[in-house]
Amino acid sequence: MHITYASFPYLSAILLSCVVGLLAIMLIPEERKALIRWVSAIFSGITLVLSACLFLAYDKSLGGLQFAEKASWVPSLGISYFNAADGFNLPLLLLTGIVFFTGVLTMWELEMRVKEFFAHYFLLVTAVFGLFMSMDLFFIFVWYDVSLFPMYLLIAVWGHTRKEYGAMKLTLYLLSGSALILPAIIYLFAKSGLHTFDILSLMQPGIFTAEQQKFAFLLLYLGFGILAGVWPFHTWSPVGHVAAPTGVSMVHAGVLMKVGAFGILRVAIFLCPEGWQYYAQLMALLAAIGIIYGALVGLRQTDLKYVIGYSSVSHMGVVGLGLATVTAQGLNGAVFQMFTHGVMTALLFSSVGYIYDRTHTKMIPELGGLSRIMPVASTYFIVAALAGMGVPGLANFWGELMVFIAAFKVYPVRGIVAVLALLVTALFMLRVVQRAFYGPGNERYAQLPDVTFCEGIPRMILVAVLVLFGLYPSLLLDVIQSASIPFMNGLPR
Amino acid sequence: MKWMTFGPEIYTLLAALWFLLLSLGARPDAKREHLTSLLLAAVGVMVSVAAIKAEGHLFVNAYRVDFFSQVFKVMLSLGLFLIVCICGNLTDIRERNRHDFYILLFVCTLAMMLLVSGNHLLTIYVSLELSSYSLYVLVALRRDQNFGLEAGIKYFLVGIFASGVMIFGLALLYATTGATTLDDLVKVLPPIINQPAVIIGLLFTVSGFFFKLAVFPFHIWAPDIYQGSMNQVAAYIATASKVAAIAVLARVIASAGEGSTYLVHVLGVLSIISMTVGNLAAIAQQDLKRLLAYSTIAHAGYVLIGILSLNAAGYAGAVYYAMAVLVMKFTVFLVIVEVADDGRNVQIEQLAGLHRRSPILALALMVSLFSLAGIPPTMGFTGKFLLFVAAMGRGYFTLVLIAMINVVVSLYYYLLVIKAAYLLEPKEALPPLNVSPFIKLLSGVLAAVMIAAGLFPYYLIELADAAAKALM
Repeated sequence: MHITYASFPYLSAILLSCVVGLLAIMLIPEERKALIRWVSAIFSGITLVLSACLFLAYDKSLGGLQFAEKASWVPSLGISYFNAADGFNLPLLLLTGIVFFTGVLTMWELEMRVKEFFAHYFLLVTAVFGLFMSMDLFFIFVWYDVSLFPMYLLIAVWGHTRKEYGAMKLTLYLLSGSALILPAIIYLFAKSGLHTFDILSLMQPGIFTAEQQKFAFLLLYLGFGILAGVWPFHTWSPVGHVAAPTGVSMVHAGVLMKVGAFGILRVAIFLCPEGWQYYAQLMALLAAIGIIYGALVGLRQTDLKYVIGYSSVSHMGVVGLGLATVTAQGLNGAVFQMFTHGVMTALLFSSVGYIYDRTHTKMIPELGGLSRIMPVASTYFIVAALAGMGVPGLANFWGELMVFIAAFKVYPVRGIVAVLALLVTALFMLRVVQRAFYGPGNERYAQLPDVTFCEGIPRMILVAVLVLFGLYPSLLLDVIQSASIPFMNGLPR
Repeated sequence: MKWMTFGPEIYTLLAALWFLLLSLGARPDAKREHLTSLLLAAVGVMVSVAAIKAEGHLFVNAYRVDFFSQVFKVMLSLGLFLIVCICGNLTDIRERNRHDFYILLFVCTLAMMLLVSGNHLLTIYVSLELSSYSLYVLVALRRDQNFGLEAGIKYFLVGIFASGVMIFGLALLYATTGATTLDDLVKVLPPIINQPAVIIGLLFTVSGFFFKLAVFPFHIWAPDIYQGSMNQVAAYIATASKVAAIAVLARVIASAGEGSTYLVHVLGVLSIISMTVGNLAAIAQQDLKRLLAYSTIAHAGYVLIGILSLNAAGYAGAVYYAMAVLVMKFTVFLVIVEVADDGRNVQIEQLAGLHRRSPILALALMVSLFSLAGIPPTMGFTGKFLLFVAAMGRGYFTLVLIAMINVVVSLYYYLLVIKAAYLLEPKEALPPLNVSPFIKLLSGVLAAVMIAAGLFPYYLIELADAAAKALM
C-alpha cells in the first residue's frame, strides 16, 4: 500500500488539541463555568477545523495511506505509535470533529459539575480520534478501552432515566467486547511470528492460515460487533443512549457505535480477509435481523429517545449488511452510511435534548403540536427524521442506496427483507413526527421559547452537512473509493 | 565481601535497631517518630537504588545478589517508604506500641529483602518466617483487641500451617535432588521435573509463597486479616508483602526450567480458580478492605499467568505486575487511611461525596481502581498485557480468555466503588476532608505515575526484562 508521510502532523495535532483542551479544562477552577465552556468550544473548534482540513487535503488520486506518522513506542514488543489517514477513516475523523464540536455547543446550558463533564467528554473524544487514526493494533485496543474510562461517569452522573443501570450495562457490555478483542489481538501477534502490532505488516497475504483467520475473525467480529450494536448484542445501546445526557448520546450513537463497525473493518477484515469471506453469510444474517428487529421494536416505543435508539440499531444493521457483501460497493455504502448516520443521529439527539430540557418529558403521548410552539426546534428534528427515512436530497439516501444495491446482488432475499424493514423505520419516524409535532398541542408547553439563533448553531451545522453530502455525495464517495477499490483488488481470490 | 552488596539489608537492620533504641529511652512523640521513620525510609530507598547494580554470592552461597533481587529491594524499600507516608496519624494503636510498630515494619522489610535474595532453601524459609512473624504481631497490634487479636491468631494459624507444608516440601525436594540451594536446583531439577515426588516437593515448597500471595487454596485468611488489621498494616500486607511473594515465587519456579507440563497444569488451575473466586466473592463485599482482599486474590491469579509461562517474558510480566500492584493497591489504601481519620474500617457507601470532600483523593481512587481493573492507559493494563502476551506466546489461549472475562467481572465491583465516590451523596452533609498538602501531592503523583507508566511503559518494561534475564 502506498504511504505518504506527513509534512505537518495533522493527526497528532488533532489528538494534541484534544489533550491540551482537557488539561486546560482541568486547570480552570470549578466556578468559572463560562470560561470552561468557551475553552471547550475553542479547542473542539480547532479540532473540527483540523479534521476538515485533513479531509480536504487528502489526495484522492494518489490514494493509500497519507499523513502517516510513525514512532517506535515499545520496541521490545513491536509496538509503534503509527497514525495514518486513508479513505476509510477520513470520513469518520471528519464525523468525530463535527459531532465533538456540535456536542460541546449542545451542552452549553449544562450547569451541574461543568468542569468534570467537559473533562470527561474531552477524554472520550480523544480516545475516539485516536482509535480512528491508529494503524497499530495495540493502540487501537488502548484507545478502545480509554473510551470506556469516562463513559460510566458521563452517563451515571449527568444522565437521566435509569442512568445507573444504563451506565453499568453499557460499560460492562463494551468491556466484554474488549475481553474478546484483546485475546484475538494477542493471538494474531503470537501467531504471526513477526513480533509487531503494525497492521500494515500483519495484513500482508500469507501470514495467517485460513484456520487462524477464521478463528480470530469470529472473536474480533463479536468483540467489535458489541460496540457496533450488532443484533443480538445491541441491548446496551438503546438503554445507554436513553440514559446518557444529550451531548454524550450524540457522541455515543453518532461516533462510538461507528468505532465498533470501523474496528470490524480495520482490524477484523483487514487482517483476516479469509475469515471475512467465510463468515460473510453470518454477518449478513445478523445484520438483516438487526435491521428488522430495530424497526419493529422502534415501532412500539413511546419514549422519543428509545425511538432513536432502536432506529440506530436498525441503521447500524445497514452498515453491517454493507460490510457483509464483500464487495467494494458494499464497503463504500457501509462507510458512507457510518458517516451519514452519525450526523443524522447527532442531530436527532440534539433536537430531542432541546425539547427535553424545555418540556422535561420525552414521552411521545405527552408532547404534541410542538411545531406550533417551537417551529424551529421541530424543523431540526423533522429534517433529521426525513434523513433517517432515506429521503433523496439528504445524505443518508446515498449510503442506504449503495448498501442495498450491493446487497441485492449478493443476498437477494435478505436485501429485500431489509428494505421492507426500512419502510417500517420510515413509518415509525413519520408516526413520531405526527404525534409529537402535529396534532393537538399540550397547553402546558404553550409558553416555551423556541430555539434562538445561537442555540441553533450546532443543529444548523449538522443540517448543512446532511444537505451538502446529500446533494454532492461524490465529495465523500471519491475519498472512500480511493481506499475500498484498491483494498478489494488486493484481496486473494 | 563488598559491603555495598549487602547495603540495603544492613541499612534496614540499623534503622530497625534505631527504633529499638528509641523505645528503650525516649519519650513517645508521635510527630518526631513519624518524621524519623520517614527520613530513614527515604534514605533506605536511596541506598537500595544505589545498590541496584550490585552482584555476587554471599555467605557461602546461601545468599545471591543479582539484578532481579536488587530491583525487588528497591520496590520493597519504596513500599516501606510509602507505607510510612500514611502513618502520620496512628490512632489505631496504643501510644506505647508505636515504637514496636516501626521496629516491626522495618524488620519485616528486612526479612523480605533477605527473602528475595535467598539462595539456600533454609535462608528462604527463615526469612519467610521472619517476615510472617513480624506481620502476625503487626496485625494483632490494633487497639480494638477483639478485632485485631482475632485476625492475628487466624493469620498465625493459617501461616504456620502453610509453613508446615512448605518445610515438608523442602524435605521432599532435598530427598529427591540432594540440592539445597537454588543454584544447584537449576542444574538438577529440569531433567527430573516430571517425577511425582519432585513435582509434589516443589508444589509444597511454593505453598508457603502461595500463602503470602493469597493464591487459592491458601487464600482464606486474606479477607479476615485485611478487615481485622489496622489500615496501614493491611496496606503493607497488600503491597510490600505481595511484591516479595511474587519475587520469591518467580525465583523458585524459575529453577524448575521450562519443560514441566504438570507444573503448568497445576499453576494454571490455581490461577483460574484464584481469579474467579476472588472476583466473584468481591462483588458481594461492603467493607472496602474485604473487597480489596478478594481483589488481591484475583490479582494473585493474574500473576500466576505470567509465572506459569516459565519463560523470561512471563517473569518480566510478573515483575512489572509487582510494580503495578505496589503503586495501585497502595493508592487505594491511601484513600482509605485518609477517609477513615479515626482508623475505622471504611464501608463502600462511606465514600459518598468524596469527589466534593477531596477531589484529588477521588481522582487518585478512580485512576487506581481503573488500573486495578486493567483499563488502559494505566499501569495495571500494561502489566496484564505483558502477562497475556507471555501466556499467548506459549499458546495458552483459553487462560487468557478466562482472565479477560474476569477483568470484566472485576470492573463491575470497582465501578460500584467509583460510583460511591463520584455519584452518591452522604446522608448528612460532611465537611471537606482535612488532607495535608503532602498527602495531596503524594496522591497526585501516584495517579500521574499510574497513567504515565501506562502511556510510556518503555523504561519499566526494559527494567522488568533485565530483571527477568538475571533470573534465568
